[in-house]
Amino acid sequence: MSRDGRRKRDRDDNGWASMGGYMAAKVSKLDEQFKMDAPREKQKDGACSSIFAGVAIYVNGYTDPSADELRRLMMLHGGLFHMYYSRSKTTHIITTNLPNSKIQELRDQKVVRPEWITDSIKAGHLLSYLQYQLYAKQKGLTFPSVCVRQGQEAAGLIHGQTQPSHSLPVPSLNNLIPVLNNPSPSLGKPLSSHHTPISSHSILHIDNLLPQPNQCNPLSGDLNPQPSHSLPLASHLNPQSRHFSPGHCFLSPYSSNHLYSDPGHIPHHPPSQGQAKPGCIQPLAPADTHLQTPGPIPAHPSHEHSKPGHAQPQSSLSFSNHLQHSYRDLDFRLNGSLLTYDKMRTAQINWVQEGGGEDPCSVRPTRGATDPPLTNGHAHPVNGALKPLDLSPNPTLPTDTPLNPDRKSTGGSVSLHPASPLSNSPLKSDPPKLLHSPPRNPTPPPVSHHRHHEQLANEQQPKPPPPTYQEATAALASRPLVLSPPKPRQSDSPPEKPLPLDNPNRSTSPVRLNGSHHNAFTPNPAPLETNNLSAIPSNPATPDSDHQSVLAKTGGIISEFYSHSRLHHISTWRSEFSEYVNTLQSRRRATGGATFPGRDRLKRQRREGSSAAPGPQSCILHVDMDCFFVSVGIRHRPDLKGKPVAVTSNRGPGRVAQRPGVDRQLELQYYQRKYSHAGVSERKDGDLEEMTSAESHVSHSHPDTTCLSMAEIASCSYEARQAGVRNGMFFGQAKQLCPSLQSVPYDFQAYKEVALAMYETLASYTHNIEALSCDEALVDCSALLAELGATPEELASAIRTDVRERTGCTASVGMGSNILLARMATRKAKPDGQYLLRSEEVDDFIRDHRVTSLPGVGRSMGAKLASLGVRSCGDLQQVSLQQLQKEFGPRTGQTLFRFCRGLDDRPVRSEKERKSVSAEMNYNVRFTQVDEAESFLTNLSMEVQKRLQGAGLRGRRLTLKVMVRKVGAPVEPSKYGGHGICDNLARSVTLAQSTDSGQLIGSEVIKLFHSMRLEVQDLRGVGLQVQLLDGAHSAPYDPSGPKTRSIRDMLLAQRPPTQHNHTDLLADAPVADSTTNQGKSSSARVPPPFSTLRPPSPADPIPGTSKEEPLPSTRTPNHVRTRLNLSIEVPSPSQVDRSVLDALPAELREQVERSWTHREKERSHNGSHHRPSTPHPSSLLSSPSSPPTPAALPVGTLVLQIPNQPGQPGSTGIILELPDFSQVDPEVFAALPRELQEELRSAYSRRETAQAQGIIMEQRNPLLQLKQVGVGRVKRRYKKKNTNSSPIKKGLSPLKRPHPPGNSPAKALQHPLRPRDLSNGLKLENGPSTSSLKQDVPETLSKFTPRPEPTLAGACDFTDIRTLLREWVTTISEPMEEDILQVVKYCTDLIEDKDLEKLDLVIKYMKRLMQQSVESVWSMAFDFILDNVQVVVQQTYGSTLKIT
Amino acid sequence: MTTLTRQDLNFGQVVADILCEFLEVAIHLILYVREVYPSGIFQKRKKYNVPVQMSCHPELNQYIHDTLHCVKPLIEKNDAEKVVVVIMDKEHHPVERFVFEISQPPLLSIRVDNNTSAISDTLLSHVEQLLRAVILKISVCDAVLENNPPGCTFTVLVHTREAATRNMEKVQVIKDFPWIVADEQEVHMQEPRLIPLKTMTSDIVKMQLYVEERAQKAS
Repeated sequence: MSRDGRRKRDRDDNGWASMGGYMAAKVSKLDEQFKMDAPREKQKDGACSSIFAGVAIYVNGYTDPSADELRRLMMLHGGLFHMYYSRSKTTHIITTNLPNSKIQELRDQKVVRPEWITDSIKAGHLLSYLQYQLYAKQKGLTFPSVCVRQGQEAAGLIHGQTQPSHSLPVPSLNNLIPVLNNPSPSLGKPLSSHHTPISSHSILHIDNLLPQPNQCNPLSGDLNPQPSHSLPLASHLNPQSRHFSPGHCFLSPYSSNHLYSDPGHIPHHPPSQGQAKPGCIQPLAPADTHLQTPGPIPAHPSHEHSKPGHAQPQSSLSFSNHLQHSYRDLDFRLNGSLLTYDKMRTAQINWVQEGGGEDPCSVRPTRGATDPPLTNGHAHPVNGALKPLDLSPNPTLPTDTPLNPDRKSTGGSVSLHPASPLSNSPLKSDPPKLLHSPPRNPTPPPVSHHRHHEQLANEQQPKPPPPTYQEATAALASRPLVLSPPKPRQSDSPPEKPLPLDNPNRSTSPVRLNGSHHNAFTPNPAPLETNNLSAIPSNPATPDSDHQSVLAKTGGIISEFYSHSRLHHISTWRSEFSEYVNTLQSRRRATGGATFPGRDRLKRQRREGSSAAPGPQSCILHVDMDCFFVSVGIRHRPDLKGKPVAVTSNRGPGRVAQRPGVDRQLELQYYQRKYSHAGVSERKDGDLEEMTSAESHVSHSHPDTTCLSMAEIASCSYEARQAGVRNGMFFGQAKQLCPSLQSVPYDFQAYKEVALAMYETLASYTHNIEALSCDEALVDCSALLAELGATPEELASAIRTDVRERTGCTASVGMGSNILLARMATRKAKPDGQYLLRSEEVDDFIRDHRVTSLPGVGRSMGAKLASLGVRSCGDLQQVSLQQLQKEFGPRTGQTLFRFCRGLDDRPVRSEKERKSVSAEMNYNVRFTQVDEAESFLTNLSMEVQKRLQGAGLRGRRLTLKVMVRKVGAPVEPSKYGGHGICDNLARSVTLAQSTDSGQLIGSEVIKLFHSMRLEVQDLRGVGLQVQLLDGAHSAPYDPSGPKTRSIRDMLLAQRPPTQHNHTDLLADAPVADSTTNQGKSSSARVPPPFSTLRPPSPADPIPGTSKEEPLPSTRTPNHVRTRLNLSIEVPSPSQVDRSVLDALPAELREQVERSWTHREKERSHNGSHHRPSTPHPSSLLSSPSSPPTPAALPVGTLVLQIPNQPGQPGSTGIILELPDFSQVDPEVFAALPRELQEELRSAYSRRETAQAQGIIMEQRNPLLQLKQVGVGRVKRRYKKKNTNSSPIKKGLSPLKRPHPPGNSPAKALQHPLRPRDLSNGLKLENGPSTSSLKQDVPETLSKFTPRPEPTLAGACDFTDIRTLLREWVTTISEPMEEDILQVVKYCTDLIEDKDLEKLDLVIKYMKRLMQQSVESVWSMAFDFILDNVQVVVQQTYGSTLKIT
Repeated sequence: MTTLTRQDLNFGQVVADILCEFLEVAIHLILYVREVYPSGIFQKRKKYNVPVQMSCHPELNQYIHDTLHCVKPLIEKNDAEKVVVVIMDKEHHPVERFVFEISQPPLLSIRVDNNTSAISDTLLSHVEQLLRAVILKISVCDAVLENNPPGCTFTVLVHTREAATRNMEKVQVIKDFPWIVADEQEVHMQEPRLIPLKTMTSDIVKMQLYVEERAQKAS
């Protein structure tokens, strides 16, 4: 119950309200960058134009061409590119595919396929976007749902508008109609009475008014080039109509606005004016005309009467009929308009008539009966509008004259209109005055009305009748316009007959008489659209909440965060450069040796000079750019050289206004305290990678920094460092330390260029490079030096010279016999120097170093060491290995022990195994509701999935890391959007099998999240990490390893499109050593085939050539995944070049062949099992749990269990695996062998055709996959356990022992139907499946994931557990930490599983067992377990277990 | 055999009926065992084939009955997370909380015998066995609990999931018997200690009963 209150959004007091300001700043900064980049691009690429002037796009999701490319194109052709979607500024949304929710949200936006841009460029002018709309209904007959708000008061109206109620297009139409229909019996009613009823009405008006004219113009421009779109939508029609009457704003959607505006006008006009205002009237009419086809609507003198349905004064009751009628009519009309030019004209006219009826009505559905006066007023104006139309050449219209009478009546009604909020708006009132009858307007609009309008457009005050049209336009131009969603009916614009009808050009449109038009004509079309966006109520939340909710809710937020975060980009560069190095390696292999220009040059120099003494046996170079970001930033600004410079985003004086809700003081104190506890460890050097969040520098801060800039310094020059400035410090502080500090903006492009240049330089010497970051690399030059006979110093100076020449920036080089020493030497070398740490100096050198300067020794470890009295490496050398290992664990202890002696045996690896894949966001994380957090987690999981899949890995252990606001910490940290003072919590879970499925990860993580019982409001950061990666397991590192795997890796990492194909190939080769048990022996038997096969013919390892061969049906995604785990792959016979095989040594060949035959057997074996059991796809669905009995098959063959889809072409599997074509890096693609390219291309084209099929397949596959993989994995894992557990542990701990079949998971495998033993998805599947059940699965999967019953080492039955525990305690004298943790984990699981009873029993049992044990260790172990359990119980239930 | 799912008509009702019946028995028994009311007002009855105690005080019975009647719709919709019987001392500070934590599997499915079109007897008897075990646990729980101070009263709290509260306000099952938000005082217990009593897992419902007991009962 109390939970309910929590869910309420308190957006006002959380300090978040100012987000708008921040985003605005950020967006403007991005714009600035864009503008800066634009000329650069134009220079590069000669062809530029201004096709897209006024167009601002926002790219959503994957597109082809990619977002980057689109950005470039927009630069080239005069458009704008928005990183962040802005309702008010973005004119077009470019995407190839949108989720439904987004479609709803963006309903009123121009959502366009990217081809629009490319085609426009091709065509050389801006094409109409209509053809390229993503979904046809987009601009359909959706009207702002007026009806929703009817009851609201006027004040509330505006607000109401902002909220989206588009959903009911039809009804809104209906509403409109009734209004019109109603004869206005009570024109004379007092305005006041009208107010309240009108309110809803008024809302509409406001929206409409604002957007109208401007929008129309820009749009019409687009439309013109292609008048003949056959789109049925009203919007489409408009373009054509526009030709006829250019003056009108035809874009039907927008035109609706016009209509509204008109009513506003009308009220203002005194009755006497009635006849005079064609302008006002007209606008309405044109809109209608668009819609109507000439046929259905005979021109009636008066709108009301003309239509059977409409004409009759109808009571509100009859609305429904109207609705239907009107709707039908609309469609009809639309079609008609398309047909012919002539028709169009006629249509226009007709439309006018109808329009009078329809448009105004649209506003008000329900009210109709009650508000006759209003309707009348509207109708009349419309009639007036008709008149002008008549003038235009329109055969169909019988007589204009009838309109006039109406018009007069409108005059009478005018007084009524003011009552409506619309009339209130100054805009409306102004325009009429201006255009049509400036002199005439005797009566200024009532002031009371204005306020509404003011909300929308602040500046416009009701002016006395403006003297001239131009003035008015000028005045209006600046006001923000709000566009309403596309409405076919409204069309105020054609007020002036002369202009509109004949003039096809939009440009003429400004002439329009209506005041509303003027408003619309802002000089810049873009602003108009932006307004539209804001008006669109897709998001009911108030503006400031938008950010939040969008942040948490929209699906793309996380990937957006990553795609936009520039720092993130930098951090990914490292892997990019790793890739680069890999590419070099493989390229060299491919070409049979690389050219090393640098090396050659050095060689020549060497020959000239005398040879010096040979260098040390092994020599590692650590090349590090000197304050990379600064030196890149100022490399073209010599004036800044030698001055204190910092790279930061802040450009100001280093001060910013303080936001509410921020308690900086408190944070500073906190950090200071924390800092002093931890001991100071300031790193002396290093660039971006050391940029940490607030902690590291706060100690420098003074208490009075309350309003200093919190922009972090990414890098600062040595001059600045002398003044005490440090990387990562906040700029504000730094400025205080060093007043002359200059700031330089980020220039990411340049960083990349320079970094690449540096790597190229290095690569010109050797390819044994390990990329550490964008500005830092390790080079193993032992071989190089031996070859050259040069000294390391010579090499280093050559490299440094090269780098300086190529990049204009200096690099320092440290040299040592191992990585550690090289890195430490670099410290001494800096800045701009080099230092060779000779092995004989090592001891002296290292002794004086602080321990914290050792890699891997961070603040916390430093503090721990300090508590041992260890500060320098010399001190550390005094500590025994045992002690270190005791303190820090065996591995870390060992490492420390070695490091402090300068020993380091890590090799320079040009390729690295990933240990974990993670995604983390601790910026801007603010949730108000659990749902938001959940969807955020889901999204984060998808991001992780993306990364996992990108790396071709799957992981088994999930860790959820959460930053929670520390109790008592200020709600809003002083760094904008930062996380502030937080508690870091982490929780992890080990899955039954490896996965890269975001959905699975998501559901697990949400479970974890809930188990932590956190207040979502206090979440400040969320991270997701996947460990125990499979790729890493399968192929243990070995020095020569990288070569054997690199091509595949390259393919995996660099070429997403082909990756799957390739892996398919690998996968489809059945592998002999499929069981993990056999793994070792088989690996002995069959040497890594690639390494042996590759050298002879480089083309060979790219098996893509044979890829297209129809493969045995084993080829499915599942197959691929599982196959990836295998460390050894023998390509299938079909893929091996016979000649290569023949060239192999006899034994090798024999082995390969043997593996083939073996495989052959297996296949037939499996085949016999499988063929029968693989059901028809549909039956698969219903009985997904019909795998063949696993027991019969060797584990490795699990792949084959994947049910094939007999009905599918063999290629389907591949096709599904292809990433979107837009994501294919064209360069990579181009670099592929031709055949591969062709195959890919054909695969893509085939995918087009097979898409529908594919979708179905995809829906099915997840289920299958889950199960199949699950089965395989589980089994595999356990086997592994048996074989892999370290000898020490083996046998000691019963917990690890293989369990008797009774309890072990293996048993579960034999009964795949038993729900508890398998993963969630499985469980769901396993239920007796009805079709309805199936459909439920997706939702339920994410929400409730039935958890498997917790097990301890495979046992879940209490008696088994007891046995297990007893064995454990009685047979072992000293429990392993690992086992204890396992028990704790089990207990925790029990708590989560809400099985406290069992927990209680287990604990009590353990208590008895362990406390009775003679070994005191067991007591301690129990206390440890109990403590941990109590913590979890406390968290979960708020109380602790009573242990008696 | 066909399968019933939660979506099937009145399936939730079946579960709610079973649970409410059980809760009624359990509450009476708790009141007896914890001596909230004098033992004189209790009568021995038989339920689930075990002896239980039931109050014969009409108003008390009515109160319990009404309460559960209001709980039932929540259980039907799986909106009730916990039903808590709170025993409070004279100052209305809770001394003991008997927490029935209820979770119903999201995808409920029960096999139904086609012939009788009734939930199979085996299922019901299984559930009954489980419930019996819980009842028995309650009747012996005084062994693990401290004695309560004299003059205790009791109240029933329901922890609902998510938005259930709002719906409850809209739909009042019994007039003049509305749910109110519990006082923090009633919910919060100082130094609670948790004593798990029983966990039952059946196909239709998973329930665990535990007691939270204030460490210092006397004060």
